[in-house]
Amino acid sequence: MAQIAERHKVSAPLVFYLVHSTQFGIGVLGFQKNVVKYAGHDSWISVILIGLIVHLYIWMIYQILKRSSGSLMTLQHDLFGKWVGNGLNIVWIIYFFLGSCAILIGYIEILKVWMFEDLNIWIYTAIFMGLLYYIFNGGFRVVTGFAFFGVVLPLWIFLTFLIFPTRFADLQHLLPIMDHSPQEIFMGTMQMVITVIGFETLFLYYPFVKNIDKSQKWAHIGNLFTTCSYIIIMIVSIVYYSAEEEILRNKWATLAMWKIVELPFVERFEYIGIASWSLVILPNICVMLWSAKRGITEIFGITEKKAIISVLVVMFFIVNVIVDKEDIQLLNKIINTYALGIVFCYIPVLYLITFVRDLWKRRT
Amino acid sequence: MSRMYKQNWKRKDSIEKLFAVFRSSTDFIQYDVNTSHIKYWISYFETLVDVNILNENILKPIHSKYWQSLEELKNILPVKDIFLTIDTDLMKEKLLEGFVMISLSEYGSPCLLVNAKLNKAREVTLPEVEFTVIGPKEAFVESIESNINLIRKRLPIEELRIRTLKIGRLTQTRLAIIYIEGIADEENVFTVWQRISNIQIDQVNDSSYITEMISDNHNSPFPQLLDTERPDRVVSILAEGKIAVIVDGSPHVLIGPTTLVEFFASFEDYFLNWILSSFFRIIRLFAVSFSILATPIYVAVLNYHYELIPTDLLNNFVTSRREVPVPPFLEALFLEGTIELLREAGARLPTKVGQTIGIVGGIVIGTASVEAGLTSNILLIIVALAALASFTTPVYKMGNTIRLLRFPFLMFAEMYGLLGIVLCFCFLATHLLRLTSLGRPFLEPIYPPRISDLKDAFLRMPFSMMNERPKQLRTEQPKRMDEEKSRENKDIDE
Repeated sequence: MAQIAERHKVSAPLVFYLVHSTQFGIGVLGFQKNVVKYAGHDSWISVILIGLIVHLYIWMIYQILKRSSGSLMTLQHDLFGKWVGNGLNIVWIIYFFLGSCAILIGYIEILKVWMFEDLNIWIYTAIFMGLLYYIFNGGFRVVTGFAFFGVVLPLWIFLTFLIFPTRFADLQHLLPIMDHSPQEIFMGTMQMVITVIGFETLFLYYPFVKNIDKSQKWAHIGNLFTTCSYIIIMIVSIVYYSAEEEILRNKWATLAMWKIVELPFVERFEYIGIASWSLVILPNICVMLWSAKRGITEIFGITEKKAIISVLVVMFFIVNVIVDKEDIQLLNKIINTYALGIVFCYIPVLYLITFVRDLWKRRT
Repeated sequence: MSRMYKQNWKRKDSIEKLFAVFRSSTDFIQYDVNTSHIKYWISYFETLVDVNILNENILKPIHSKYWQSLEELKNILPVKDIFLTIDTDLMKEKLLEGFVMISLSEYGSPCLLVNAKLNKAREVTLPEVEFTVIGPKEAFVESIESNINLIRKRLPIEELRIRTLKIGRLTQTRLAIIYIEGIADEENVFTVWQRISNIQIDQVNDSSYITEMISDNHNSPFPQLLDTERPDRVVSILAEGKIAVIVDGSPHVLIGPTTLVEFFASFEDYFLNWILSSFFRIIRLFAVSFSILATPIYVAVLNYHYELIPTDLLNNFVTSRREVPVPPFLEALFLEGTIELLREAGARLPTKVGQTIGIVGGIVIGTASVEAGLTSNILLIIVALAALASFTTPVYKMGNTIRLLRFPFLMFAEMYGLLGIVLCFCFLATHLLRLTSLGRPFLEPIYPPRISDLKDAFLRMPFSMMNERPKQLRTEQPKRMDEEKSRENKDIDE
């Protein structure tokens, strides 16, 4: 694989923003329902659990990539040969691609329900694709720039979660702690999978980071930050909503909390919140889609421009075709199982394989 | 012998040609003089030559002293720039610069070239664009010599390097690249040098020509090189490790590589206490965002999200808009257009008339259009405030960019309300992320985030804290001063 030019690389601390911004996205607005369904008021334990698991996986990813000569694509190609390896690569590319589509579709759904009932989807997506084209043409540096903006600029929104709903909080809702069986909590953890994925894009942007050895620390800090944010939001929702049923009834529990925000000059804060959320989901889509595009250029050896255009055109059609509620739910389910299989089951296998190969190599 | 003769003959021929061309302009003077001891020919452009020098320093000694050859004459004349040459191209060049040529026969050579240039430069005056109440009151002028003098005077060190070039096939404009060796990154100097020497243009009338020709992205409304008319600012920026470019005939000096935040820093910030100047910087930043976003938010809110405003406030909006028959977007476009019109008219007219037009236009058109029911009171206030806020940018060129930015935001706000404003912001952010100034990121220190460079960005921290040069410039001496020593000075009991 050709070496990445130094001017396209980003510095190690920026991995923090890349990891955090890809994990933190559309899921935040309504992840509570699925978790609370199983783990009830102990859901925050499920969130901590998933955080720890992701730490382990980030460590594994670094271990895997340290033993490779580039990204996941070259590694699988080396390990499994041309046909099997590239087949697996395509599975990953489809995963990244569907993931980014699902985020945009989910966001458009929220826009339609909360802001613009008669949003013209295809004009909106066309503008969005234009934006993505402009970003991708700037290279990975610009993508990372958006990861940075997507974390820093909407940071103030956090205050709205902390200040307003906590006025109506009742800490009693958290008690008794560990009321649910480990199995229930684990089921809740499984539901969190779709909200924390995104960190695996590390597999593809790994060669684009300067001083890669220093970046692992930042990747872990990024995940820590994500986990903390999820814990805070989860606890605030549990103490704010008067009953678990209320969370279960709300498809977007976080969004509904914004309704309580009241300032002397602003009512209906959710409009501002949803609009600013564009900045949060944009890096999500960007990094995921960039990984898909990067994979395509690595496998098929086509030029960047062609890869960008083909990826965007296909995405445009998919987003415009899947508009039904059932379709969206089906897509989310597919991605959840996809992620379970490819991220949470396959990565340990890959880790073992590379580990054994390394041992074997050392012996001979 | 015959070869020499041939060469001589050829030379004579080209001098003849040269004179033939020059004689077709009426300001070229050539005549022969018979003094008591010798006969000589003198030629010059009377419009380029200083008559005082010609009379006092050239003609007087020629006639009063005894000399037999040009070599002797060269030692007699009390002029600093004087030499003998047989090179016709050099003669042409020097005659066109204002030298006087003396020879012993009509087309004979060698010839003596004597500097008698007429230097007509404006006096160094007050800065008009970047005026500050406190601080130095000198501004650059059109002459490159006085400008370099203004800089050298403030930097009496050997490391100050000046490289000169000539640009423009017709104008032959002189241009100087200035930097401090040992501080400025050689790579940056090389980039500037390379880009300037690659310029293909026939005329350079101002430094703005150079800005446009050497900036990284020609299709950007953002200026990618800072220009200033203050010598003190240039000196402080040279000391940071940046590079300045002076163009003859332009009172504005270019500085690069620069960053976005630098355009919102007035040089007065360094003359005030750091607390005050940090406060002013924040105000300026707020004013700029207000100036870009105020009208788009008005359009977005009234078009799509009137639920966003509390009921009491909404009442005011509804009352003021009751009479207005057009949608908010057209209303905003009309008022913004009017303001731009007033600005443009004011800028094109002479100062005194311009002021009157501004007042008449502002007050009369404003009140009349509200009374006629074309716009609402509230929007009038917002637009006027936004226009006022756009003038807080200390760099004029950036102010123009900000005026323009409002319109795409307005269009996106009309399409998708607040969502559109965020979308437009994303486009703007992408553009800024992609911009570079002489190959260095334009958005630094925001992105790539460099905390040590933030000390002189949104806030102006005290000088004692700014002991490092900006990392973006990759200077060869990252430290400004000895930290130990500066700490010693701060001891309380001594």
